[in-house]
Parts: sequence; C-alpha cells; structure tokens
Amino acid sequence: MVGGLALTFGLCMATADQFLGGQVPAAFANALRVDGLSALVLVLCGFVGLLSATYGIGYLRRNEARQLVTPRMRLEFYGLIPAYVFAMLLVSVSNNLGLLWIAVELTTLASVFLITFHDRDTSLEAGWKFLMLGSLGLGFALLGTVLLFAAGRGALGEGMTALNWTRFMQVAPELHPFTLRLGVVFALIGYGTKAGLAPMHTWKPDAYREAPSPAGVLMAVGMLNGALYCILRIHLISKASLGPEFSGDLLLKLGLLSVLIAVPFVLIQWNLKRLLAYSSIEHVGIMAVGIGIGGEAGVLGALLHMTYHSLAKPVAFFSAGTLAQLHSSSDFKRMEGGTFNRAPVASVLFVIAALMITGSPPFGLFFSEMTILRAGFLGSHATATSIFLAALVVLSCGFAFQVGRLVLGPPRHPSDRRVPVAEHFDLGMGAAIVAATLAIVSAFYLPGPLVALIRAATQVVSGGV
Amino acid sequence: MTTSDVLILCAAGMLVSAYLMVGQKALFATIRLYGLQSLLLGIVAAVIAVSEARYELFVTAVVTVVLKAMLIPWFLMRVIDRIGIHREIEPFLNVPASLLVCLGLTVVGYRVSTGFPESSRGVSHHLVGVALSMLLTGLFLMVTRKKAITQILALLTVENAVFLVAVGVTSGMPLVVELGIAFDVILAVLVLGILVHRIVDRFESMDVSRLSKLKG
Repeated sequence: MVGGLALTFGLCMATADQFLGGQVPAAFANALRVDGLSALVLVLCGFVGLLSATYGIGYLRRNEARQLVTPRMRLEFYGLIPAYVFAMLLVSVSNNLGLLWIAVELTTLASVFLITFHDRDTSLEAGWKFLMLGSLGLGFALLGTVLLFAAGRGALGEGMTALNWTRFMQVAPELHPFTLRLGVVFALIGYGTKAGLAPMHTWKPDAYREAPSPAGVLMAVGMLNGALYCILRIHLISKASLGPEFSGDLLLKLGLLSVLIAVPFVLIQWNLKRLLAYSSIEHVGIMAVGIGIGGEAGVLGALLHMTYHSLAKPVAFFSAGTLAQLHSSSDFKRMEGGTFNRAPVASVLFVIAALMITGSPPFGLFFSEMTILRAGFLGSHATATSIFLAALVVLSCGFAFQVGRLVLGPPRHPSDRRVPVAEHFDLGMGAAIVAATLAIVSAFYLPGPLVALIRAATQVVSGGV
Repeated sequence: MTTSDVLILCAAGMLVSAYLMVGQKALFATIRLYGLQSLLLGIVAAVIAVSEARYELFVTAVVTVVLKAMLIPWFLMRVIDRIGIHREIEPFLNVPASLLVCLGLTVVGYRVSTGFPESSRGVSHHLVGVALSMLLTGLFLMVTRKKAITQILALLTVENAVFLVAVGVTSGMPLVVELGIAFDVILAVLVLGILVHRIVDRFESMDVSRLSKLKG
C-alpha cells in the first residue's frame, strides 16, 4: 500500500511539475484539468495520503499485536484507505462540477466504513450522523450545482462540457443573477458541510473520535482541502459574475462562526481526538475568513494556511493516535497522569504539534494567520478581524491549557492499576517523527516549486482563470 | 389534456405523496409512497423528453423508474422484513401539527420559486415550486422522525426534489453526470442499509434517537 501511494505521490508531483513547466494538463474533454489551485491541492493530498498510509500500517500492526484486528478489518483498512485517497485526488483535479460532486460523494462513502471501523456503539452513532449530515450536505451541493447549471441555461451550451468550471468562467457575465445566488448559497452550504464549517460541523468531533488516526488525518487534511477546493471553485464563479462581496461575505461569516464555535468546546473538552476536531473546525474557519477577506493578501494567507496546516495536522494526529493507542482510549480521564512520564517521544511530538496548530511563532501557521489578519485590518473588515483575533487568542490559551493538563498532569494514584502499554519505536513512530521534521523545516524553508505552486494557486483565486 | 397539464398533475402528485409520507406511520406504506413519488418523477422526465424532443431524457426516466421506483424500495422493504420492525413510533411532533408546518413550508417554497426566470415552458414555475416545497418537507421529515428507515426515505425525498429541479428548470443535466449521480445514490442507499443492519444488531432497535452518547 505504501509503495502504491508513494507512486501516486510521485505522479502528483510529476503533474504539478508539468503544470509549472507551463502546460495545463487536461483530459476527457477538459473534465479533468490541472491549474495552479488543483496542482497545490493535488500535491498536498498525495503527500498526506502517503504519510497516513505509512503511519496506518504501523497503527494496524500495533493493534494486531494486541489481537484487536480481524482479517475482515485488515481487508477493509487496506481497501478503503487507497479508495479514499483516490476519491480525494479525483476531487482536486475535477474541472467539471458534476464530476466534482460525484468525487465528493465517493469520498463520503469511502470514509463511512473507516469511521465505523472499530465497530463500537459510539462508532455506529458517529457513522450514522456523518452519513446523514454528509448526504444532506451533498444533496444541497447537488441542488446548488443544478441551479448553477440552470443559471447558465442557453449560455453554457450542451453536453458534458456545459458543466465545466472553465466554461462557467467564460460565460460568467451572462448567468442569471437570482438563480446563481440561490445556487451559490446551496453549493457553499453543501460543500461547507463536508469542510466542517459551522453550523454544519457537528459530525466532525464524533467522526474524528471514532475513526482510526490514519483515517482521521485523511479527513482532517485531505477531505478538508478537497472541500475547500470545491468552495473556492464555486466562490470564483460567483465572484466573476456577481462581484466578490456576495460569496465572500457569506464565507467570512461562516468562517468567523466556525472559529467562535470552537472556543467553548476547546475549553471544556474531554477527549483528545475531539479536541483535534475542534481545532480542525477552527482552521477551516480561518481559511474561510482569509478567502472571505479576499484580495491577494487574504487569499495568499488562506492558501499558505492550507499548506502549513497540511504539514502540521498529521503530526498532531500521529502523536495523539499513538498516545490514544498506548492508553486504549482517547478520553482525557483514561490518559491522565502526565503522559510525558510514560511516552516521552509521543508527548514531545504532540507538544510540538500543538504549538504549530495554535499558530505560535516561529512555525508556519503563525505567518499565514498574520497574513490573513493584516489583510483584514488593511481591508474594510476591521470589526470582523478584531473578533477573529480575539477568538484565536482564546483558542490558543485553551489549547495550551488542555495540552499542559494532558502531558504534565499530576502522577496517578499508586493504587491505580490500569497500566498503559509502554512506548517503543516502530513504523508509526517513524512516520510521526518524519512528519514532525518536515513540518519544522517548513517553517524556515519551503522548497521553490511549492512556493511557485502557492503563487500560481493565489493567482487563480485572486485573478480569475 | 395538454402536456403541461400532465406535468402539473405529476408534480402535484409528488407533493401529495410527500405530504402522505409525513402523515404515515406504517413503514411499508411510506416506502410505497416513495416508490410512487419516484414513478411520477420518471413520468415527468419522460413527458418532457417527448414534448421537447430531448431523447436522452428517456434514459434518465428509465433509470429513475428502475432504480428509485423499483430497486431501492425493494431493497428497503427487504431490510425491514429482515429486522421485523414495521411501524414508526410517535414522532417528535404529532401528525396534524406536522402537516400544518408542511403547509407553511410549501408556501415558502412557492414564494422562492417566483424569482426564477420565466422560461418558454410556463409549468417550469410550478415544477420548481413543488420541488422546493418537497425539499423543505423532506428536511422537516428528517429532523422529526426517529426511525433510521424513515430518515433514509426523507433523504431520498430531498434527492427526488433536487432531480425535479434538474428536469424542470434545465431539462436535465448532461447524461454522464446523471448516470454518475444515480450510481452514487444507489451506493449510498446500500451503505445506509448496511449501517441500519449494524445499528439494529447492536441496539436491537433502529430508533436513532438512542444514538446520543456523543456530545460536547
């Protein structure tokens, strides 16, 4: 599986390289097309897919060592993870809005059985909620797509190419405004559900808690980027036809609400993976705010944030997953007593990850958040940006409190006999260390082609086709 | 009877079936109502295919009838038969109140549909109005019912509403896309069916209001 996903990542890089070489790779009557934005999301998805598959094998081996894995679960795991990655890659190269919808639906179906993987009562609940809310969101997204198509009736032409994003951008001035508005609202809410924007975020904490950590990473990074990609495509159509205010303001509001809603839940959180889920709701909110503020600076901030988030989140999930496996649970009450004494490596990695995802300097997310804040204050969104800044500060403090409690808490009572499994070095740990190294290095040095990709993507979003 | 009369009659039939689903507690009857609704959707697609000479819509009509009016109801009935639960328990809101709410939702749906451009086909306005009302009714059904099967049917009603918009306003999406969507829908229903089985095995009930352990 690792070999296959390494090959896939190589192919993603090759495609991106071809794009940077000045071509626009396209196939099937432009239904698949790679521009700057696609290339960036594609490379990030491929990277995360490879990383989580490597960690996933270590994860499964640890569970096998404890006889928790049936042959059926093995088969499910090795089948579903590549299927999920494939669907996400398909999302990132779709130029056809219909195909885009189908690909997103495929990601949903592939992830349901990953969420119910451990077959507990709670995982069935999480899976059911995820599928119901996800399908409803997708129903809205489909209605949005239909309405967008209706808005361009006559102008878009016939056949498969009529739903192409590039075609929409060509005829943007001729789209019928009312139908378009309605379509954009439905599509943004629909894909926003998949991204986990508030108030459609409620599936996220449940799903993250129940999914095995490697699948959690795919959801928190791959799926999030993919859904954001859909949101950006819709936003761009709306921007070209109605001006930047309509969908921009909607995204700004949804993003701000997501960041605010995460605040109380981070402060009172009782489970490690749910904590990460609220962090992911916060981050998708930050990206939406960046896009909503708009302008080149806001968009650049959002895309930088997407890149750095994709590098930092795997570290958090891998170390949290390791800690959870050692304690056979991700609830704080089962892990209490200072994890540092029992699992120093995983704890240190988790602290580093926590510093990164709370946007502390000198890590990358600090710079991207600063870029967005600066764009907000310089633009006409001073009030929204102030609220946003305050929420970010409280979230960092809340996160620091939770992490400190977990890692450094007082030792357990001597009579407590629940002995956790000792930490030892294996493939999963190796993947976590590699991910952490890459994320730390990225704070000081981004490779040239990646910077070029981010620039190209920014140009797509802030400057039209 | 002219073409537009047939279209309006079918659309009205779909809305009525959605209403009856709200008023119905026996699960078999609810599934049959969904089947009827899908059959009417197929007829709408076929009528438009004939009247506008867009023959690829015939494929849509056939796929709709085979898949949604026959295959999915058959599958859901088999699920119910296996688990042996036949009635919806008391919903969160009683039937008369629910129907009143749905009446209000229909008014909202029709109000929104007036913003669409007048197309060559005058009935398009009615189709969109019915579709949006059905969408809202489906959403309402989803939040007020407790049985897993009813929630699936509510989701499928929403999906039917989206398709009615698609055939009503745009005379159908490109064929490849529609086939892909149909395939995804059947896959989703299969996945949901498997989940229902697992939930029933585990909780010995398909009352989804019991799924309430995860909070905060």
